[in-house]
Amino acid sequence: MNPPLLIASGIGLCLCLYSCEPDYPDSTGDKQAYVPVYMSATEKNNISLSSARTTERSGKIYAFANYIFQNDQNKGIHIIDNSDRMHPKKIGFLNIPYNTEFAVKGNYIYANNVNDLVVIDIRDINNPTVVNRVEGAFPYVNQQYPQQTGYFECPDTTKGIVVAWELQTGKTVNCRR
Amino acid sequence: MKHLLSCILLAVVLVAVVQCHKATDSGKLTGSGGSTARFTISGNYLYTVDKSNLKVFNIADAANPVLKNTVPVGFEIETIYPFKDKLFIGSTSVVHIFSVDDPENPQKLSMAISPEVLRRCDPVVARDTVAYATLRTNQLCGGTQSILAAYDIKDITKPVQKATFPVSEPYGLGYADTALYVCNRDGLYVFNISSAFNPQLIKKIPDDWYLDVIPYNNTLICQVQDGMNLFDISSRMAPALITKIK
Repeated sequence: MNPPLLIASGIGLCLCLYSCEPDYPDSTGDKQAYVPVYMSATEKNNISLSSARTTERSGKIYAFANYIFQNDQNKGIHIIDNSDRMHPKKIGFLNIPYNTEFAVKGNYIYANNVNDLVVIDIRDINNPTVVNRVEGAFPYVNQQYPQQTGYFECPDTTKGIVVAWELQTGKTVNCRR
Repeated sequence: MKHLLSCILLAVVLVAVVQCHKATDSGKLTGSGGSTARFTISGNYLYTVDKSNLKVFNIADAANPVLKNTVPVGFEIETIYPFKDKLFIGSTSVVHIFSVDDPENPQKLSMAISPEVLRRCDPVVARDTVAYATLRTNQLCGGTQSILAAYDIKDITKPVQKATFPVSEPYGLGYADTALYVCNRDGLYVFNISSAFNPQLIKKIPDDWYLDVIPYNNTLICQVQDGMNLFDISSRMAPALITKIK
């Protein structure tokens, strides 16, 4: 094959491997499907400072003035005091449910809290305070359907916010993409 | 070589790290982010990217962000990074370049497509007229080579690849003066880039899986798989471990 054809074939194969899903018959009991994981609005609003803790799922980093911040994926932000840069120290953990992204300017942290943008005043690092919330500013995950194609359980918005999709077996699945 | 690299196209990460504003006055106010961020602050504006849109928030009144604009960018957007008066927005396929001369109305200038075409594009480190990117293969096509690439960006809308250097599984990157720090699954790599298009591998620190870096004054802040490693980079080519924070 000539090189362009070879490349095109390669791409085609990759796409096929990536997207081809077995076509299950409808509503059998034991097939696998994605099921939404819900969180209530009250859980979402629980933004608070707690003591320093071990990093669970290492996330994005940011340096600001004498502090270094590190996201713990979907949990919040570790606060590290770097004022003595040869002896940096974790001093606290800012719980922000389903936070993955943030940036800092002028003593304010801008962070996503699921799909809202929250502004947190850190002038007193020992007493961070949410001062603003822009709802729906940052679409967090696919709320209507999972990223993967195939069968899934239709989300029920009365149950809360969809924060993840879990692959489960034997569930009633009534949606497909 | 060209065809070999083309096969990477379903895999690649163009990683550009722009640390340029840390040295400016506003840098003292905004600090520095890593090369894989979805949020970035430029002047009085917060720019965010979700899967498909760029959003512009005016944060002149820091406690009261005001959404000023939502700009559809494309599909599978992953990262945003500011360079001079531009925003580079990385997606799984191309880098979208926007001008923010008018900060509330980003204007699309072009889509930069690396010669290898990119399956995953993350940020690029730009230094004057040179940009560095890491292009990572994935398992789907297999057998190909991940690389560190150097681009001539004198014309920022038309990056021209000038050099490549093989690396096994690279992630984020950043530079301080003539040292380029490249994150790799098997460690931190230090390159001398005094000759911009001929990066020389000086050192490997093979202690962790490195994901992103921020050179911050004389400290190199590294995101590693289980936390953070900090190095003293007073001597740029010889990072000395300060501590590991888990």
